[in-house]
Amino acid sequence: MDGGPSWQDKLKDQIPDELGREVDIFETQMELRRRGEVDERLFAETRLRRGVYGQRYDNGQRHDGTQNRPLEYRDHPTKGPETMWDAPGMVRIKIPYGAMTAEQIDVMAELSEDYSDGISHVTTRQDIQLHFVHIEDTPDMMRRLAAVGITTREACGNSVRNVTACHLAGVCKTETFDVTPYAEVLKEFLLGHPDVQDFGRKMKPAFSGCAQEACGLVNMHDIGYIAKTREVDGKVQRGFEFYVGGGLGAIPHPALLLTDFVSEEEMLPLTQAVCRVFARLGEKENRGRARIKFLVAKLGIEEFRKLVYEEREVLPHDPRWTSYIKDIADYAEVPVREPAPLETNGEHTPEFRAWYATNVRAQSQEGYAVATVKCPLGDLTADQMRDLADIARKFSGDNVRLTVEQNIVLRWVSEADLPKVHAALVAADLGAPGAETIADLTSCPGTDTCKLGIAASRGLVAELANHVGHLNGGTDPALKNLRIKASGCFNSCGQHHISDLGFYGISRKKGGRLVPHFQVVLGGKWVENGGSFGLATLAIPSKNIPTVVKRVTDRFLEEREPDETFTAFIGRLGKVEVKRFLQDLTEVPSFEEDPSYYSDWGDPRVFTMEDYGEGECAGEIVPMVEFGLQASEREVFEAQLYFDAGDMEKAKAMAYKAMLTAAQALVKTEFYDISDVPDQIVSEFKTRFHETQRFNDRFAGSKFASYLFQAHEVGGNGGRPEQARDRVQEAQLFIEAAYKCYERIGTAGAPA
Amino acid sequence: MSGTDSVIALTSPEISVKLFVTDDSVVRPLELIAVFHRWIKDDSLEDELVIDVANYEHVPQGPGIVLICDKAHYYFDVRHDRWGMRYRSRREARAVGQEAVARAFRSALHAASLLENDPALEGRYRFRTDQVEFGIYDRLRAPSTEDTLEAVRPALDATVEALYGAPAKGYALQSGPKEPFMVSIEAPGAPDVSELLGKVAATAG
Repeated sequence: MDGGPSWQDKLKDQIPDELGREVDIFETQMELRRRGEVDERLFAETRLRRGVYGQRYDNGQRHDGTQNRPLEYRDHPTKGPETMWDAPGMVRIKIPYGAMTAEQIDVMAELSEDYSDGISHVTTRQDIQLHFVHIEDTPDMMRRLAAVGITTREACGNSVRNVTACHLAGVCKTETFDVTPYAEVLKEFLLGHPDVQDFGRKMKPAFSGCAQEACGLVNMHDIGYIAKTREVDGKVQRGFEFYVGGGLGAIPHPALLLTDFVSEEEMLPLTQAVCRVFARLGEKENRGRARIKFLVAKLGIEEFRKLVYEEREVLPHDPRWTSYIKDIADYAEVPVREPAPLETNGEHTPEFRAWYATNVRAQSQEGYAVATVKCPLGDLTADQMRDLADIARKFSGDNVRLTVEQNIVLRWVSEADLPKVHAALVAADLGAPGAETIADLTSCPGTDTCKLGIAASRGLVAELANHVGHLNGGTDPALKNLRIKASGCFNSCGQHHISDLGFYGISRKKGGRLVPHFQVVLGGKWVENGGSFGLATLAIPSKNIPTVVKRVTDRFLEEREPDETFTAFIGRLGKVEVKRFLQDLTEVPSFEEDPSYYSDWGDPRVFTMEDYGEGECAGEIVPMVEFGLQASEREVFEAQLYFDAGDMEKAKAMAYKAMLTAAQALVKTEFYDISDVPDQIVSEFKTRFHETQRFNDRFAGSKFASYLFQAHEVGGNGGRPEQARDRVQEAQLFIEAAYKCYERIGTAGAPA
Repeated sequence: MSGTDSVIALTSPEISVKLFVTDDSVVRPLELIAVFHRWIKDDSLEDELVIDVANYEHVPQGPGIVLICDKAHYYFDVRHDRWGMRYRSRREARAVGQEAVARAFRSALHAASLLENDPALEGRYRFRTDQVEFGIYDRLRAPSTEDTLEAVRPALDATVEALYGAPAKGYALQSGPKEPFMVSIEAPGAPDVSELLGKVAATAG
């Protein structure tokens, strides 16, 4: 808004320089795309790596139940292939290991109100997503997040996604040790690391403090770490079982053991080696087979392991690999209340007792407990977020974590305070019991907002939530701990493969009309870090899924053997029998008999696949060199801005930097580990591209290369002020020449 | 807040007007999903590019059922346990100052009128006009303070007078310091939604 205050000014003293600079860069990239000066594919991957995602209907089309109709957005350049600039999108905000402070929760509440629709959505990977966000609001949103220490960088795209960890890490009775500081270190190490910028697909890391519980879900992650200790020369050494190649998606793969013990000294370099092998050998063309699980399966774990350890041997040393270890012992959370036992003599209400039974877990630290806030469908209003922040300040301090079951936990609550905490949560409509039980259902966004959604997983789960309370076993111990999870499609964001009763959206035809269905997946193992995958059984019409749940759970209660788990029960029943006893539910009445079957839960439109779009989960495959060249363009643009503002010194320096960046991008195609040191960049560029004449222009010869050498000679911003104009123009010409050179070497089959 | 700031507050595009239903007990929020989808199909909101319907019925005291548009959201929300139709403009300001306020009133009244007259709802939804909630979702330009209220009061006064033919009985800041700026307007009368809509159409231009 012209003349009005700006968040950039207001927060300038609170935003760390690096984060502020990143946001400024993104804003410049947006401007360049608006001007049509950046390719849409490149911009798409750029915004994805900043957490700015597409959303359903952003291709400018929507089916209204009768016909496909255009959404007439203003005419702008797109923000990605078939993605309208003005269409609202989703912003995914990485919350490493789900840890949030009260202040961060307050800010999230503000952002959801100011830029979204008032809802903060907790995801199954400990992120928060805001929906219906306009791209022009994203820089300010990022600044407000940066002011409280949160970055959205690499929340999407083909990068290392949020580092998740058990929400009970550090307070859990079954953990080997607290994995929190290790998750933090890994997050810091990998964020923006050059070795994770050239993946064919995303990579999701997870930490767990133990093997037996579910919380960390290591078994379904691309890379995973389970805390372990061993004794060496009488001293206890910390490390991890290190897993690779797990993942859900359409084809779930259990993670495989890379090594049964990686020491804390070797955790980072071994991870780096895995990333390098994945970047080098992972599939880049066929995105459906580009996750690391496919590479591990293709090579075999033995060969993959061999390559990783070979890579480890040649890694350039990085002091960060071990420098963090001396600080590990200092990591500690600070409670705000003294420990004290829950008053057992007092009268507790039935509501409190119900909540206490399911939502409270004693910590390993005596007198403290973890209280779980059950969030229906992972959604909280801004008012609830503010209330939660206030409750945290009073009772748990900055010790709040998001969970992979879309809930939030307050840690370090003094047990004596639990009745007050419960009362405060009830006042905020956050005191519902049933956390981490069959009544605590999980769903991905599905067709509500996701471009890839086929069926309404949230609609289904909302409907099932009304039913599970009526199940005979709603409080039956055998049913209590079952999990129900739904995904809108086979991509498994709802983690249906590892739930007892899992569902994912598909469609089927009946009488020429499409009918929303869910594939029923039974008997997945939630515990043991998502220990095994369920049995895919039948495709059932969406409207019959509540009956499926009732029928299956009733039979489990009737026929289970003592202490038999649901997973074991389904295994014993077998696929043939499960299919037999659900078969009648596959029947779809004709449209004339019952049209309700032809609409999805919570969506009265006649079901269609017309709104199904191309997802952005996979990101765009953009070679590293293109990112470098794009960065150089952005820098020369900034140089021009400095020049226009009369700051000649900065204009010259930035123009020089732009040439260096372009040169470095080219060198990286052959020498991946090129440093950021100008002397080395210029030297390598000279040897590899100038002296070989590969950079030479057909008509101008080596003229453009000489611009870099001259600027380098005078030290970047050297020379007279009036030379700034020339320097900026020279940089533009140099970058053009770099693009041409890249085209030539690409055509010649050089590595890209 | 200075005179300059009063101008700034109403340059914000993020203005909201909420009309409360007369009887919360008649509200069945899920039925509005079908109604809103039909509005999209029938282009019932002529000034809007309508995108989709969002359902937050499962969230207590939440946004309820939301009609998502390009430059606005229409919430049938239940914040603070009171159902009502909230219009909330977004993105670029279509107007500033009093015109912005009048436009927001017009949009809220139009949506309320559509609900009152929607055949599927059988006349169950009625809106009171003697109390209106006005808000600005813009903490930079309009923090939740009495100063902001003073700054926007002239524009509110002018709008209320134009609609109701008399000054407001009073204004009360409803929001806490961390919340978006929200004011309860006690109107000087309770005319029908349709009557106010007719008047505001001329005012808002």
